[in-house]
Amino acid sequence: MSAAVKRRDLGAAVLLGVPVLLCALAIVVPLVLTLIISFWERQMIGMRPGFSLASYALFFDGARFSVLQRSFWVATSSTLLMLASAYLVAYLITFKLPPSRTRIFLFLLSVPFLVNYVIRTFSWAYLLGRTGPLNQFLQWAGLTSHPIDWLLFSDFAVYLGLVAAYMPFMVYPIWLSLSAIDRRLIEASWMLGEPPLGTFLKVVLPLSLPGVFAAAIFGFVGAFGEVAVSQILGGVGYQLMGNAITSSLDVLNYPMAAAMSTVVVGCMLLLLLLWLRFFDLRLFLGKMLGR
Amino acid sequence: MSNELKQFNRRTLLAGAAVGAGALALRPSAAFAVGQTVTLADIGVGDPNGDWSGYEKATGNKVNLVSIGNGPSAVLNQLIAGGGRQTYDIINIVGGMQKPLVENKLILPLDTSRLKNWQNNEYIASYFKPGSKGFDFIGYDGKVYGVPTILQGDSFAYLPEKTGGELNSYGALFDPKFRGYVALEDNYTTAGQKTALYLKAAGLVDIKDPSNMTKEEIKKVVDFLIQKKKEGQFRVVWSSFEQAVNLLVNQEVYVMDCWEPMVFAAKAKGVNAVYASPKEGFLLWAMAAYLVAGNRSPEKLEASYQLLDFMLSPEYGAVITNLRGYMTNPAAPEFASKSGKFDPVTAKKIADIDAGVKTKFQSGGTWQARWPSNIEAYEEEWQRFKAA
Repeated sequence: MSAAVKRRDLGAAVLLGVPVLLCALAIVVPLVLTLIISFWERQMIGMRPGFSLASYALFFDGARFSVLQRSFWVATSSTLLMLASAYLVAYLITFKLPPSRTRIFLFLLSVPFLVNYVIRTFSWAYLLGRTGPLNQFLQWAGLTSHPIDWLLFSDFAVYLGLVAAYMPFMVYPIWLSLSAIDRRLIEASWMLGEPPLGTFLKVVLPLSLPGVFAAAIFGFVGAFGEVAVSQILGGVGYQLMGNAITSSLDVLNYPMAAAMSTVVVGCMLLLLLLWLRFFDLRLFLGKMLGR
Repeated sequence: MSNELKQFNRRTLLAGAAVGAGALALRPSAAFAVGQTVTLADIGVGDPNGDWSGYEKATGNKVNLVSIGNGPSAVLNQLIAGGGRQTYDIINIVGGMQKPLVENKLILPLDTSRLKNWQNNEYIASYFKPGSKGFDFIGYDGKVYGVPTILQGDSFAYLPEKTGGELNSYGALFDPKFRGYVALEDNYTTAGQKTALYLKAAGLVDIKDPSNMTKEEIKKVVDFLIQKKKEGQFRVVWSSFEQAVNLLVNQEVYVMDCWEPMVFAAKAKGVNAVYASPKEGFLLWAMAAYLVAGNRSPEKLEASYQLLDFMLSPEYGAVITNLRGYMTNPAAPEFASKSGKFDPVTAKKIADIDAGVKTKFQSGGTWQARWPSNIEAYEEEWQRFKAA
């Protein structure tokens, strides 16, 4: 191997190594620390290094476990809802919108993010309240004689808040996946006599699954760890895991907060492993990499 | 310049320096503090809208105000892990946090003889006597750690047009007549304690000390709250100032466990909200400014003491009472009316606020326990209430 090649390899290693190292420091180290602390023993105010399952036992035995169950259910069901709507939007953008308007539409999807997320959530509280515009409209239109209570501080409000917060994020990976599909495959399906629904189910949907799964992870991760939506729109102590972790931190119960975080991260890692196991990442990244 | 003059100047200079150094050595607590910048971490209530001119003109020092969260974890995390001990000279937060702060060596005991405004302050003498519940908001283990910067008594708010008249008991929060139109604060040391006050006064639960409940007592309180929650009594558990104000302004709820400034804010938006005077008494509390433990020069320490003293002055008190609606200093109303710094309307407002809070303290109640003995049980039980 020539000296020039060696130098080039060394340069490439340094070029790649530095960001990889930074990522490891920023992501892996805090996660490992969280895992370690979850086994420590809690003292009155601080904590003591050791190996104790007390925090996990308290977590799985107490009210917080029901929060985990609820979080899992809310995150799963809202992700399915968001996937359905995000897929529809992404499909329309990819196949029905003239290419010249695609960018404009994608830009419009990002406009809500120009407003602070908490303020957006507070806006929903105003819109859905008993005296809010939506209830006033419903009464004005004669659809109801009194304000509808369940529009705010309810499951409905939380789901709406989650969809508004995370669904737009989910459109992008699905659109990316859909637009990477070779149109000749779709045309071939048509020419072979497959109707549009059959073509969608047998060609488009399977080929877009890497993007769908990526979108599902975006939505699930966000909803699972949500704090503001449940707090502002949920009503009487509507708790998701993010709220429960914050509450533990309020009384400086770091091992408990770490144990809960570890369980949450474990769930996320499991999802990521499934994604990597079943889908070839290159199919999804191919579009971005121009291949 | 002649040699004689040079020698004279040198001699004078050396003599002066020696006298100055001797004076400093003899009384380090009175170090000459000019040109210092004192960093004050505050939760937002102690900020006189950036106007520290009273302090700066009197001392030649400056104030660098930084924002800090009020949650116990936010405060402790900032001081322990966030470099707060090196950054902050004073923290001004809701008092009663001495136990975790002292046991983690995060704050210093105060030498109150260095605070001239501490002396003759009738509020300190009356409400923060050593051994009293009020002392627990500023002291620990017999020592004073905090300067009480504001005082207040909390109860609940209501909309009289909707409730059909005056409400004078915490029982209104649990009255089936207002089912679905009640909000509680997401805080076990306020909502939990007010519920305990009601349950004790109504003879529903045997609670010895609502401000410091046993595990069994807080469990009974939460059992009661869960029962009410399942009956649909509560519309929401609020967690921020804006959220609570909006609940009143939008008439989302008619009765709400909250702080009095929220009523002021709602009134400013044209809503007729009333802050109740419950027969069970008020939940009393105070903010305290603590001296942060850290490497600090004698000059910086002196400047910090000067700022603490300024925060005990009638001038600062009047400004904060006017801006935040809390009682501060016994001489604040007089300062507001005589100093010429406030117009008569504002001076009257300050006097009214002072008189109103004073009445609350006179009518009694219990002091809020910011860090109760069984705080872990409180948090666990509150989780149970919210998850139910």
